Amino acid sequence: MKAVERVDPFYVLKQLLKATALISQEGALLDASCSWLEMFGIPSLTEGKGPEIFTLFPEDIELRRKLKENKSFTLEHTITANYITQHLKSYFAPWFDEKENVIGTIIQTDDITSEIKKQEEIDWLKNILETKVEVSKTGWWEYDVNTEELFWCRETKRIHQVPDSYQPTAQEGINFFKSGYSRNKVSMLFHRLNSNHQSYDINLLLVTYMGQERWVRITGKPIVENGKTVKVFGTIKDVHEEVMAETRIKENQQLLRTLVDSLPLNVYVKDLESRKILVNKSECNYFEKSAEELIGKTDFDLFEKEVAQMSREEDIQVMKNLTPIIGKETQSILNGKVTHHLTSKIPYFDLDGKVCGLIGMSLDITHMKKKEEQLRSLNTTAVMQNQKLISFAHIVSHNLRSHSANFSMLLGFLDAEKDPTERLRLIKMLRQASDNLLETLGNLNQVVDVNSNTLVIKKPVHLRHAVVKVLQDQSGLLEHNRAQVVNHVPEHLQIHCVPAYLDSILLNLISNAVKYKSPDRKLQITIDAFESQKGIDLSISDNGLGIDLNKYGNKIFGMYKTFHNREDAKGFGLYLVKNQIEAMGGSITVQSEVDKGTTFNVSFNEES
Amino acid sequence: MKKVSCIFIVDDDPITVFGIKKMLKSVAECDDIQIFQNGHEAHEALKERNNTGGTIPEVIFLDINMPIMDGWEFLDAMIELDIKEQIVINMITSSIDPLDHKKWAEFKDRCPYPLHFKNKPIFKIESNDLGCMEIAS
Repeated sequence: MKAVERVDPFYVLKQLLKATALISQEGALLDASCSWLEMFGIPSLTEGKGPEIFTLFPEDIELRRKLKENKSFTLEHTITANYITQHLKSYFAPWFDEKENVIGTIIQTDDITSEIKKQEEIDWLKNILETKVEVSKTGWWEYDVNTEELFWCRETKRIHQVPDSYQPTAQEGINFFKSGYSRNKVSMLFHRLNSNHQSYDINLLLVTYMGQERWVRITGKPIVENGKTVKVFGTIKDVHEEVMAETRIKENQQLLRTLVDSLPLNVYVKDLESRKILVNKSECNYFEKSAEELIGKTDFDLFEKEVAQMSREEDIQVMKNLTPIIGKETQSILNGKVTHHLTSKIPYFDLDGKVCGLIGMSLDITHMKKKEEQLRSLNTTAVMQNQKLISFAHIVSHNLRSHSANFSMLLGFLDAEKDPTERLRLIKMLRQASDNLLETLGNLNQVVDVNSNTLVIKKPVHLRHAVVKVLQDQSGLLEHNRAQVVNHVPEHLQIHCVPAYLDSILLNLISNAVKYKSPDRKLQITIDAFESQKGIDLSISDNGLGIDLNKYGNKIFGMYKTFHNREDAKGFGLYLVKNQIEAMGGSITVQSEVDKGTTFNVSFNEES
Repeated sequence: MKKVSCIFIVDDDPITVFGIKKMLKSVAECDDIQIFQNGHEAHEALKERNNTGGTIPEVIFLDINMPIMDGWEFLDAMIELDIKEQIVINMITSSIDPLDHKKWAEFKDRCPYPLHFKNKPIFKIESNDLGCMEIAS
């Protein structure tokens, strides 16, 4: 009992750094350190008895019983003062006297507010993380390099489709990736993470526990201490749908691109300003430019101004009225080359249904056009040939008929004639009729020859030499008529023609000029030639009688048509000339004025 | 034998001219038979006779295909002359071109003179060819 009465130990108690209190067996506060009293908000202990301990720990109703058991225990509790809550942890231990008798309880109290706050913060962060994981479906994992332990969070396990209880090893984790590229890649990345401290972020193919293949985005980040990776932290996210969608988009794009590029059409997309924003291969080939060179260009950068202006106006019409142009025949000139196109322009709408440009398609129909023209010209030729044939048939029938009619008539006379002198006369006439028939047949034969020689063989002929030769052959005739001939044909000109036809043409035209010379003037014949677009044009002019083309224009090249009273005019030369020229693919025209002169223009077609 | 004051033969074929002349001998008595190589010559002569009060031919034998002025052109020019006297015109041709027959039908309608179309060969000249007055009277 003496010991109890000693004051010294109590005074020491007051000064203890750790908040400590002594209570009696009845639970009365005997004494406490200043720090303890401050903690519990007790100003100072009045001499003798302090407050009952139970009022200080209102949370624990068991306290009285626990104290009676004389065993150590701890208690966590709070004290709120001035709206500030302190978290405390008190250690209760029995208080022995020298004889090991329990004489009360020693209480030591720690302020654990900061620890509690930290715990709360951690809980809060965990909560946030959990929410984030749930919302973003991003799992996380952690690998301890030293213990070689791999931890997967619940979301990570969900992504792998493993039960919550599953505990993976690092190797197992890697083996979840599809064998081949994905597994090799993740293996390598994981290795680099450890050895080079290299982070990663990549999409790889995972095969889940249930055997499904899923695209996942995985990241890894090393936690380095003293230059060594001690831990690895990473995330995993299921991005299968996104990757698949992206793949599908890429596949669709590829399909569309291949389709557009392979179409035998020029395809382009223009924006509202008619700038090209997409071109296909055909379009590039047409302009002989790369897609990069064409993108952003307008027709004004590519065509002549007028062509571009017309195209732009079409574009505006299509985009303004939203009515497509389908299959319009257009013609464009690029680098001097004319191309015919079947053009369609269709308004192009964005996802909101607003017009944002146009899609253009042009089919090159140049070769079809050419074919069509060839066909048309072939048809024209056929019709012309047909007409020629019909008219030739009439000529033949008429000419032959007139001779045979004469024969019939004369033979009829001969039958009835008794007078020998008259009979002799009739026989003479019959002979003349026979000669006429022979001559006509000869003429017709020539024409048939010219026209039936469909494969006339053309040879290069030096035109000036050919003219000179005909002039020499006719020099007798020309001199007799005192004709003055001027040969202007250039030295270098060569024409492709049938040499015999050319001789016949030159001979007929020159002798015609002589035949129909004016009695009032000295005959002048001018021969000239020049190159034209289609070939070579030859002209033979005279200052002779001329002919009234208004009256005879359509007959001048007709068979057996003569226009002057001349014994030697047979009306056959020009007909033959025209046939020969046409057989070589050329044409002949005439200009004439009565009593002034005549000019014949012969066009030699050099194309065919 | 019919008496005819004047006959024109317009044809560039001497054999046909010979034939017509020979056939005329047996059917007509005519002192004024004129031969023309083409329509132009015949027209000039007709115009001259019309202007100077000369004998207008009662009968014309007309070829179609001739140089310078063909039979059709001659007909046109002749209608222009507006000769009041009766003239029988015989078109003589070896043409069997349907176009020529069509043309004749057209001319027949607007020609104020009797217009006959005869295809060669001809062997005989009918009195009808020299004027239908006899039949009419």
